[in-house]
Amino acid sequence: MIELIEVTKRFGSETAVDRLSLRVEKGELCALVGTSGCGKSTTLRMINRLIEHSEGEIHLEGRQVREFDEQTLRRRIGYVIQSTGLFPHWTVARNIGLVPRLLKWPAPRIRERVEELMALLGLPLESFADKYPHQLSGGQAQRVGVARALAADPDILLMDEPFGALDPITRESLQAELRDLQSRLHKTIVFVTHDMDEALALADRLVVMRAGRIVQQGTPLALLREPADDFVASLLGGDDRGLKEAAIIRVAERMQPLSPRLLPRARVHRDATLRQALAVMFREHADRLAVVDDEDMAVGELSLRRLVESRREA
Amino acid sequence: MRREPIGAGGAGGASRLAAWRAPLAWLACLLLLAAGMAWLEPLFRWFQPDTRQVIYPHADFLTLLGRHLLVVGVAALLAVVIGVGAAVLVTRPAGRDFLPLVAQAASMGQTFPPVAVLALAVPVLGFGTWPIIVALLLYGLLPIVRNTLAGLQGIDPSVLEAARGMGMGGVQQLLQVELPLAVPVILAGIRTSVTINIATAALGATVGASNLGAPIISGIVNGNTAYVLQGALLIGLLALAVDSAFERLQRRWISSGIG
Ligand SMILES: Nc1ncnc2c1ncn2[C@@H]1O[C@H](COP(=O)(O)OP(=O)(O)OP(=O)(O)O)[C@@H](O)[C@H]1O
Ligand SMILES: [Mg+2]
Repeated sequence: MIELIEVTKRFGSETAVDRLSLRVEKGELCALVGTSGCGKSTTLRMINRLIEHSEGEIHLEGRQVREFDEQTLRRRIGYVIQSTGLFPHWTVARNIGLVPRLLKWPAPRIRERVEELMALLGLPLESFADKYPHQLSGGQAQRVGVARALAADPDILLMDEPFGALDPITRESLQAELRDLQSRLHKTIVFVTHDMDEALALADRLVVMRAGRIVQQGTPLALLREPADDFVASLLGGDDRGLKEAAIIRVAERMQPLSPRLLPRARVHRDATLRQALAVMFREHADRLAVVDDEDMAVGELSLRRLVESRREA
Repeated sequence: MRREPIGAGGAGGASRLAAWRAPLAWLACLLLLAAGMAWLEPLFRWFQPDTRQVIYPHADFLTLLGRHLLVVGVAALLAVVIGVGAAVLVTRPAGRDFLPLVAQAASMGQTFPPVAVLALAVPVLGFGTWPIIVALLLYGLLPIVRNTLAGLQGIDPSVLEAARGMGMGGVQQLLQVELPLAVPVILAGIRTSVTINIATAALGATVGASNLGAPIISGIVNGNTAYVLQGALLIGLLALAVDSAFERLQRRWISSGIG
């Protein structure tokens, strides 16, 4: 659990973070969004004390971060940055084993942990363990960055635009992997991103910042449905908000039982989003879809009317 | 934690030795010439037929070479310790205020002519080897300080951010990340410093340090060009041998890690 109480950070006369209060529960993924320079990275870096806060209190598991020894604190918090910061003179395996080595784990345990993490992040040991960072693609390097952050099994993970420099396809697959990892590992994650779709897809709690302050926070759905002001509304996509909302609701949550009527030809997977269902309807000129499972067996149906109305009852 | 790839044993050892071919060849030439200068007497006599003595007689060339190397080596060692040390100190948070001062002092060291340093050092340190070591030290400091600073400051800031963010201490970060990454640039600085000083060390002969400068000075004083040539040849070969050894070192460091 991370708690920031009335935290302020000044750089000289400039106030980068202004009396910010935020509580991130254990196992929660909290995404910070906002325009450039609004203090997202500063907030993140105050948590692991790469930057010392000027005023207020930051608590970690009920203890002030100031009470921790800096190095001990950072070794307990995973940290992932956009440019990865992998050590260019170390192999992938050595990079991943950095924090365990700092913590003086015995060598066999480090090796075991590195192998485990490489498997977890889809980096085959034989082909990657001895590579150097400059031999990796951007997506692979970022995976190594995430593996390095997870190495000592920290409860808390700070991620500053971790997938920012990647192409959309690689980014989406890494997002899916992160979601998958998170559903198994239940870390407490603070995640900074510029990509609103990424934030909406990953966040349990979405925090919108502006000029060092929090404008609004809540679940992605709550913010999409009731943005506090025009700034939040436009940041969340303006008129596209409806589609973004449809993109975080699964078909399975809204589908109707199979009716006796003839099953429509157009079909959509039950794990697809309402947005994808809408796209299929648009493409197939259909106002009813069959909902299918992995075996392509119909498990329900979804009408345009139902899809559109689903908003009201949520 | 990972060892070298399998198969880097016997064949690898031989090829590693082969890579040192150039510096070893220069070294062989150098030693051969130093030991066998007397055999070249006919050559020098043909070059300078009117002189009675054509091979520098006052000392054995191998001894001169040894002394020369000793002076350059001691000066280089001191310059590396002082230069790298100073550059490291002023790039730490605590010493950052002294960064401009050190950069300036080092460049002053090189604008100050070694001859003047010698002249000033002799009254303090007396005749012999020490004045020339001091002069070489001052003269060789700049490339080392400048390159160490450049090497340390040229490291990708995100690497340092990660090092700090992962919980490395200052010393760990310096020894495991910063210095290894800066080594190629630092080596280049040491290489410049040492090669320049191999030539500059000849000046030592003017203040009584007998080294490969001695035949040169003596040749100039006595109008014996053959002596000058002998000293100059040996100094040139020494510089080539050392320079190509450094080149190998740099290459090896780069191929063993960062590409
Ligand atoms: N070390 C520093 N020294 C001085 N000012 C700083 C420092 N770090 C950040 N700032 C200032 O604090 C403000 C917030 O910066 P921060 O990096 O937190 O923004 P951000 O929200 O992460 O922006 P971006 O989305 O562009 O990464 C900016 O105005 C920045 O100029
Ligand atoms: Mg930022």
